[in-house]
Amino acid sequence: MRKNKAMIACFIAPTVVTLVLMYLYPVARTVLMSFFHVTNLTASTSTWTFNGLENYFKILHTADFITSMKNMLLIWLVGGVITLALSMMMAVILTSGIRGKKFFRAAIYLPNIISAVALATMWVQYIFNYDYGLLNTMLEMIGVKSVRWLGTDLKFWSMMAAFIFGSVGYYMLIYISGIEGIPQDLFEAATLDGAGKVRQFFSITMPLLKGILKTSITFWSINATTFFLWTKMFSPVNTEGSTIVPVVYLYDTVFGGKGVVNLDAGAGAAVGVVLAIIIVIEYALTNLLIKDGDLEY
Amino acid sequence: MFKRKKYHEKINWRKELSLLPGYIVVTLWVLFTAVMLFWIFAASLSTSKEIFSGKVLEFATGFHWENYVTAWKTQNVSVFFANSLLYSLVSCAGVLIISAPAAYGLSRWGFVGSKAIRIGLVIAMSVPTIMIIMPLYSLAVRWNLRGRVLLILLYIMLRVPYTTIYLLDFFSTLSTTYEEAAALDGCPPAKTFWAIMLPLVQPAVVTVTIFNFLSVWNEFFMALIFTPEGSATPVGVGLLQIVNAMKYTGNYGGLFAAVIIVFLPTFLLYLFLSEKIIAGVTGGGVKG
Repeated sequence: MRKNKAMIACFIAPTVVTLVLMYLYPVARTVLMSFFHVTNLTASTSTWTFNGLENYFKILHTADFITSMKNMLLIWLVGGVITLALSMMMAVILTSGIRGKKFFRAAIYLPNIISAVALATMWVQYIFNYDYGLLNTMLEMIGVKSVRWLGTDLKFWSMMAAFIFGSVGYYMLIYISGIEGIPQDLFEAATLDGAGKVRQFFSITMPLLKGILKTSITFWSINATTFFLWTKMFSPVNTEGSTIVPVVYLYDTVFGGKGVVNLDAGAGAAVGVVLAIIIVIEYALTNLLIKDGDLEY
Repeated sequence: MFKRKKYHEKINWRKELSLLPGYIVVTLWVLFTAVMLFWIFAASLSTSKEIFSGKVLEFATGFHWENYVTAWKTQNVSVFFANSLLYSLVSCAGVLIISAPAAYGLSRWGFVGSKAIRIGLVIAMSVPTIMIIMPLYSLAVRWNLRGRVLLILLYIMLRVPYTTIYLLDFFSTLSTTYEEAAALDGCPPAKTFWAIMLPLVQPAVVTVTIFNFLSVWNEFFMALIFTPEGSATPVGVGLLQIVNAMKYTGNYGGLFAAVIIVFLPTFLLYLFLSEKIIAGVTGGGVKG
């Protein structure tokens, strides 16, 4: 086909405009803003005053931000290990030749399809409810005293459990597609050589899933770093120290929350940049630590 | 959700027995999900008093369908629902109009900057929303954009990188003979695209549109920031408002009815399209 510059422009221009307007300009402006003293987000750039790394020092000396980073790290590490292990287990079970595989797969993935707000509401208002919730009803049946799942000491872990439940299906699908990509004759050969299921998992499945594992860790890291909705649902009105995460801190600092006296858009931008850097570092580290090589099979 | 097998395999009991632990794990997991959803549905038909006394499954006072009427009318779910439907449908169409030609162009014509645009799209897919939300907010205020129009524009642009990359892969697999034949017949390139090439990737268009629909329907962060209160609120933020108002209204039956209403559209979509959705999750974009 003859190349026609005007036509190419017509086809491509809207996407380029989107890239610039929605991503390039906002990211650049956020990075820039993190180096300036900006109180009100909507203030024009002429009122910005440069203050170097001051915003970064400020957030690093804010107790709430440090708490939020600790919570995020716990979600990333503890939640990540549990979620990815559970997902891997489900994927191995579903590819082991059980009946009703399609049904189980669809049912386990279901929570990912539901609005997360609705899902979180189900957990908060039913599963964890003190008076009539599922967990306490079950405890009552075996004669154990009811537990305040949403009390200050347990809330964080309850939130994490609900989040994990909602995430497993997605990573399970990724692992299933990885496992199904491994040729069956490898397993058959291993069985003939006398390797058990466990041995096969660690000696064949895991090494061949390195690439998939890397992808899933990266996705998990992005999800943990941008964690927001579940905190909002578990502490809807007032942000609490037990569930605060960096994005919630950012939201409160920039858009105002209960107890936030001085809005600080510059500090909010600094939080955003810190989180973006964490994601990039994590991505680089995973790539460095897990080398998938070029496996041919 | 699953097809019944037409023939009966002979059951190998020894094999099934070795799989028993696996069956137990997945069955418990699915059972938990089912109990949760069923209880929520039962609670949506009960009174607050029944819910608190733990008598949800007895329906002693009958089915309280009026909870749905309360949720729909008094708690404004009808407004949230209409908004979300509007956002999802209009965004899905808008994204296609922007992304499909670009995906086609990028897959067909190598021009200056085409590689940069591809890389830009891939990076844009992983840019966290927090990195773009603040400047977008000040732009919206400066340009005096707000409410429904603003959210639709944002949702369209939010889905462009993913949609373009997804469709690009499919256009790349098409043979150029289609265009050559069309050109010989004197069909102008733009018409060739809309009338011949786009219909050829219809399965990919359907899949990507399902994902765009789900994503916009379930979006929360942007909706929270750009529609704090008011008539443009979609279901996610609306549900949060209902939950927050609970301590004043105390209408638990209505709350659970609202949860079911929010949950139902994507659930129904999933009932009919689960195979296609599951194939799509791992089919495009996610590669080992």
